[in-house]
Amino acid sequence: MKMMEYLSDRLGNLVFQAVFVIAAAGFLFLTGTQAGVLILLLFVWILCFAGMQAVGFYRCRSRIQEMENIMDGLDKKYLFAECVPKTGSFYERKLLDLSRRSGKAMIEAVSDAQTAQKEYQEYVESWVHEIKTPITAAGLICRSADSVTRRKILRELDQIEAHVERALFYARAESTEKDFLIRAASLAEIADKAIERHRTLLMQNCIRIETQNLEQTVYTDEKWVIFILGQLLQNAVRYRGENPFLTLSARQLGKQVQLTVGDNGIGIPAHELSRVFDRGFTGSNGRSRGGSTGMGLYLCRRLADCLEIDLKITSEAGKETKVTLTFQAKENLTKL
Amino acid sequence: MQRIMIIEDDSSIREELTLLLKNEGYHPLPVTDFTGIPKQAVQTCPNLILLDIGLPEQDGFSLCVNLRKSLDVPIIFVTSRESGLDEIRALSLGGDDYITKPYNIPVLLARIKTVLRRSSGTPEPDMMEADGLCLNLTKGTISSAAGTAALTRNELQIMVCLMEHAGEIVARADLIEALWDSKIYIDDNTLSVNMTRLRGKLEEIGMGGFIKTRRGMGYQL
Repeated sequence: MKMMEYLSDRLGNLVFQAVFVIAAAGFLFLTGTQAGVLILLLFVWILCFAGMQAVGFYRCRSRIQEMENIMDGLDKKYLFAECVPKTGSFYERKLLDLSRRSGKAMIEAVSDAQTAQKEYQEYVESWVHEIKTPITAAGLICRSADSVTRRKILRELDQIEAHVERALFYARAESTEKDFLIRAASLAEIADKAIERHRTLLMQNCIRIETQNLEQTVYTDEKWVIFILGQLLQNAVRYRGENPFLTLSARQLGKQVQLTVGDNGIGIPAHELSRVFDRGFTGSNGRSRGGSTGMGLYLCRRLADCLEIDLKITSEAGKETKVTLTFQAKENLTKL
Repeated sequence: MQRIMIIEDDSSIREELTLLLKNEGYHPLPVTDFTGIPKQAVQTCPNLILLDIGLPEQDGFSLCVNLRKSLDVPIIFVTSRESGLDEIRALSLGGDDYITKPYNIPVLLARIKTVLRRSSGTPEPDMMEADGLCLNLTKGTISSAAGTAALTRNELQIMVCLMEHAGEIVARADLIEALWDSKIYIDDNTLSVNMTRLRGKLEEIGMGGFIKTRRGMGYQL
């Protein structure tokens, strides 16, 4: 705070004092007070007045500084009004009290919103579990249908399941409490489970898959990585080219493990590559084929960030797409 | 006949599973009364239990603990709850496998088969025979009176699948399914290539024509 700012707050007072002093001086002069006495009086008055203003200014400045320090030292800034010592003028105390009440209302609103979000997430989780029962039943029932109908129904059920799964992981990724479980997992097992889950889709589209060098151990949440791989497999099917062929290969990079999922599909134009992980981005491929939600890769990145997996994508339009997942060494994981 | 107890509270899944297992040559034992399940299990004496986690009376976890007290039967958890914690819990409570809904039917059947084989203690056969042809599974070779040929992993699995169904027609799609079960992810074209190579090897040991092609249907030994 500058002196000028302090004084400008008290402008009215200053003007009133000046007018009053000039008027008083005029009155004294007219009633016969000597000029010398008047000048002495004026001088003493100015000295006192300036001194008072200076003291007031310094007190005010140090108070502001104190409050700034309290604010800087606070982890939860919204608790500021609770932490300021209740000294100072009545006006200041009143202001602090008001700000405390407003802070409290805000905290309540935030906690209501958090509770609502948590309840919603719990509902989505349980809803997803419920919906899987009829999907399973439908899958079992359609065995008795003829093989063409059965295959068609199974394909649709697969689609439903994929959407349901995305909804579940969306709720999990957006939740404030991330409930993942990091432990040692075999990449080969993760890959096999992901392939098994999307087996109908992969087989019906005549996809050939080769796995190389997957006998590695990574520290991560198996379910989440299976979901991420599932999204990549679904994309590989959706954007496949002629004689679709997928490779899942791993290699050790120092203490990290790198898993690459490569396909020989239609690829992604170079100028769209940087945006494929954005929420809702469908790109020219998605638009021309339809049925793309722009959520799959976005979720992959969200989940990978939580698990501290580095996710990279490279592609050559019309030729191939490669997605690389880099798993950190166990000791470098901060959220273990 | 292997007896499989089905503990599942959703009636349509229970009925369909019962039908499916019956068709697959098992003897299904569906549970409809969810009280005193351990007692029912002791009476019916199943070879395997399919156990859902979300049950009306008592959840599958505690039920598993109770079942384990009185019976030494393999238990497969079948559940729609998908969390790593649940899986660890299920396996640490004595479950033998954990399958999440919705499952793929061939996958479910393959898991049932594996668990049953493991529990009955019958080792995987290491030799198979059909019409003068002998398949050695441990060495991965095929031999006839005229000689022996080494097979690749893919060729070996194709032979196993054909010999398991000797005499029947095996559709190409079924062969591919069987190969995917063994974690060999090939497509139709690759199957053709493998088939040609396998026939070449059979020819070498004087068994040309051992695998017959049934046009539009599949293969037959």
